[in-house]
Amino acid sequence: MDRRKFLQIMGLVSGTTLLSSCGSESNQKELISYLVPPEDGVRPGTAAWRVSTCSECPAHCGIKIRLREGRAVKLEGNPSHPINRGALCMRGQAALWRLYHPERLRTPLLRQGNGYQAVSWEDALDHIVRAMSEASAQQRTNMLLSGSTTGSLAALQERFAEACPVTRLPEFEYFSHAALRQAYQLLYGRPVLPQYRIEDADLLITVGADLLETFVSPAGYTRQLATARHDHDLHWRHIEPHLSLTGANADQRLSIQPASEAILLLWLLQTLADSRRYVGQLPPQLRTALPEISLDRAVQATGLTTSRLRDLANSLEKARRPLLIVGGIATAHGAGQQTALFGGLLQWLLTAPWQGLDFTQAERPERIGDLRDLQQLSDTLRGGAVGVLLISRADPLRHAPGDWKFADNLRRAGLSVAMADIPDATTRAVDLVLPLTHGFERWDDVEPRFGLHSLIQPALAPLHETRSEGDILLQLQQRLTGHSESGNYETFLQQRWRKQFSASARHNFFQHGHVVTAPAVTDASLRIAQTAVVLKQISLPTPLSTPVAVISGSIRSFDGRSAALPLLGEIPDPLTTITHGTWIALSPHTAKQLGVSDSAELRLTSGGFDLAQPARLQPGLPDGVFSLPVDSLISGPPGIDPATGEALRVIGSVKAERTGKQLPLPILSGSPSQQGRGIIPKPIHRDKNHHAEHRALYPEPAYRQYRWAMAIDLQQCVGCGACVASCYVENSVPVVGRRDHLKGREMSWLRIEPFYDDQGQVSFIPMLCQHCGFAPCEPVCPVYAAYHNPEGLNVQVYNRCVGTRYCSNNCPYKVRRFNWWQHEWAPPLDKMHNPDLQKRTKGMMEKCTFCIQRIRAAHEAAAKENRPIRDGEVIPACAQSCPTGAITFGNRLDPDAAVTRIIKSPRTYRVFEGLGTEPAVYYLRPN
Amino acid sequence: MSHESQKTSAPWPKRLIRLAVLGYFVLFALLVVATGFLRGFFTPPASQPIAFPHTVHADKLGLACDFCHSGVEQEASAGAPALSLCLSCHNSIATDRPEIKKLLEYERRGEPVRWERLHALPSFIHFTHQRHIQAKLTCDACHGAVEQMAEVRRVRSLDMGWCVSCHREKGASRDCATCHK
Repeated sequence: MDRRKFLQIMGLVSGTTLLSSCGSESNQKELISYLVPPEDGVRPGTAAWRVSTCSECPAHCGIKIRLREGRAVKLEGNPSHPINRGALCMRGQAALWRLYHPERLRTPLLRQGNGYQAVSWEDALDHIVRAMSEASAQQRTNMLLSGSTTGSLAALQERFAEACPVTRLPEFEYFSHAALRQAYQLLYGRPVLPQYRIEDADLLITVGADLLETFVSPAGYTRQLATARHDHDLHWRHIEPHLSLTGANADQRLSIQPASEAILLLWLLQTLADSRRYVGQLPPQLRTALPEISLDRAVQATGLTTSRLRDLANSLEKARRPLLIVGGIATAHGAGQQTALFGGLLQWLLTAPWQGLDFTQAERPERIGDLRDLQQLSDTLRGGAVGVLLISRADPLRHAPGDWKFADNLRRAGLSVAMADIPDATTRAVDLVLPLTHGFERWDDVEPRFGLHSLIQPALAPLHETRSEGDILLQLQQRLTGHSESGNYETFLQQRWRKQFSASARHNFFQHGHVVTAPAVTDASLRIAQTAVVLKQISLPTPLSTPVAVISGSIRSFDGRSAALPLLGEIPDPLTTITHGTWIALSPHTAKQLGVSDSAELRLTSGGFDLAQPARLQPGLPDGVFSLPVDSLISGPPGIDPATGEALRVIGSVKAERTGKQLPLPILSGSPSQQGRGIIPKPIHRDKNHHAEHRALYPEPAYRQYRWAMAIDLQQCVGCGACVASCYVENSVPVVGRRDHLKGREMSWLRIEPFYDDQGQVSFIPMLCQHCGFAPCEPVCPVYAAYHNPEGLNVQVYNRCVGTRYCSNNCPYKVRRFNWWQHEWAPPLDKMHNPDLQKRTKGMMEKCTFCIQRIRAAHEAAAKENRPIRDGEVIPACAQSCPTGAITFGNRLDPDAAVTRIIKSPRTYRVFEGLGTEPAVYYLRPN
Repeated sequence: MSHESQKTSAPWPKRLIRLAVLGYFVLFALLVVATGFLRGFFTPPASQPIAFPHTVHADKLGLACDFCHSGVEQEASAGAPALSLCLSCHNSIATDRPEIKKLLEYERRGEPVRWERLHALPSFIHFTHQRHIQAKLTCDACHGAVEQMAEVRRVRSLDMGWCVSCHREKGASRDCATCHK
């Protein structure tokens, strides 16, 4: 044996020794047997579904909870639910993050000095009872303040308040729609919000009402708008002072002077009441009571041109079924009352002929108060007249204007108690915190609309030592009075349901998650006399002087309540693509005048209002308007409108200045412009001839039975980001946080790209792995981790991947994501992990798989029955959640499949078609 | 011979290098031997909490596999039988045997039996019994003649090469994504 041979052999031996000791058989799981198999038991590897109701906002969409091995892993919209019909917004998707939030309140906490100490439930309840009895002895009042409550819990609260006795305060919601409810109270004698028949309208004019973001029932409205646009030609115009996602998606957006909506509506009302079509329809008493306004005055106040105004009035007169919806930002300023009233009257005039309003199934905010009620509470607290204040599911401290000194006043209460699931400003200020069970851990019901009862069904046993609000109230009542409605809340519900519903209705209730009982027939006729009296007293508002700051609701955090959910921080704001941060948006022109660019700190002051946040240039925003999401406010709103009790969300005469500081702001979009690349092409870009004929170096992939493909209709897509959130949860995409986002290391498999044209018009395009026929990522992978599968998917085999990132560099769509870290899922977040997927580790590349786990499940179901997969059997998570139904998925080789039909549309194109990548994602360009 | 004398008279630093190289390989050779010994020494035989004799149940009594592993035909996981199934017989049969006493003890404590898992696949693998049974594979193709084993052990490697060889032979899917999650 020569030396060379010896070295070779020894090298081989030592190498194999090392390799063979790699991989171990430790960490093998146990096989645990049941004691007794439960009837509907957990079958390992099989998913079970529970119908329930989302409680992230007062809309209460119907959901289905997917359970794997006893853990809730995914939410989907319940297709049979009348509110959302299968849609689910990003906040709904994030509800699981609330359930598994690592900072969930786990035990009752009692204030000790500056900190809190965990106490037992018995001690906590005893403490409250003692304080309540003491307060009664001292002639102080005990009070209950809760967030929006309906259904059985509302009934229980009333009985509790009566028995104990406790004063039940008007409920607290930041978006209280108080001005609207007052207007409807005046006009119809009903302080509720009717159903707007959007699907039957042919012209929709929305004034300030952000239907797609926070207005009453966003997922439901988005679905209704999409259906209306799909079924017939709904023309939709949106009027607002700033730029919202809703405005960006309307067929036409009109920018109006801030706080001048009332004048516009009055002029329209006057013009239409005298028009040929509507003449004589407005009762003469009301017509004469209306203040007069000239066209010139309207033009001057609203900033719209004469022709624009005439065109608006003409289109309303011509439309067969016109509908007007006023709300949101339009009623959240000093002229909110007039706006709501003129809007309500005009709405009545337009919809009365075709019954465009439905009061039978109206939304139920009638127990909700407004900020005036909260101010009164603050004053009562200051006077020391409050014994125990129970606050439930509400965060008044976050939303009380700073000059009320609410936190200081709260300390004068005998005992302040907050019931909540995760910490917020209120739980950090009270004396005692009671942790509540999440909606997925308890039985309950809600009645968001008259006669619509929606079931809240537990999906898993409580994760922590929490109790439901119903149980807490019952136990308090038992201790205080020696008697309660029933032993526990579940029995209370059962008794109530038995009384409320027939046996068949109960069956439907549990089966489909909701039941509709016949609503009382209601009189919704105009109350002319009362209205005329108010109209005579009304004064015309003066518009606010520019520059103004507009505080908008947020599609990501609603009124700020969802801001604590890490998933929603990770998903970009649709218009600005900012994640993990707060900002002030301003038009590029205004930014130039002020000398600021993205991320430069900007300070806004106006009276007592003072705010400094990084700037973000927002094309399409009118000059002189600063738009900021509600999260950007550090404390509550700058003030309230004394006439309506709504928060002031439009602030005039703002002084803006540059502070000179730069604040890092994670902005995910590289550019607001398409840079002429035709990603969302105008018809002119359809000229394919400027690209040479495509010749492949590699053999054509041969597909036998399936070629999975996706069609995305950009005409329908509104950029709401529900698909993004759905993808995150379904695929357990890691949430990496602000620091990684600042480095451009986001992990989202699916992103929404907003692109602005020169006029500030925005179009959205969801961008995900295109599953190219000739995928540039595949041939560059040195280890065959990225490969083309026989069904057309670009599969990434995670445990082959060695992290060269060649694939990502070669991908023209930039959809591959690299794990820079071993991403930790802090318990109990790890329970949310989808067991159908592998946990990716540091150094692995990942990307959209077209939800291959769902394709695999369909394959298995089909193989069991010896048939091919049916069309519509595989619905990826993004398509399922999409409120507009813009995404269709299916087998392109099946001539009858919906996707095959849709991609025959003349609007179909593929992104960067000239590269010859043959993507499987087909986009339908907007008209 | 002059050649050899030349070698022995090599300067000592060179000898030291040679020694180091040799030492390196000897160390590896020793490691190979040591791992071989220690592996056998430290890995205890998979001991089950109850010495369940498949020989009695599957062979002598002739119970079908899916009598106890009932998920095998319809589900991904074949599953271990519930304690209640064991007790449906052993409430009255052979209750004096020490292993059955252990079983009854589990029931009394209301504690599930935690069996040692012998056929666990890595977490990144999607495997379903249902498809394999549907393809008319018998249990012993992968699990061996369990009815002959007093104490069940794993007889197949369950590594990727072994899976793929069978998939190739039977003409089953060889797409990575069939098994890799």
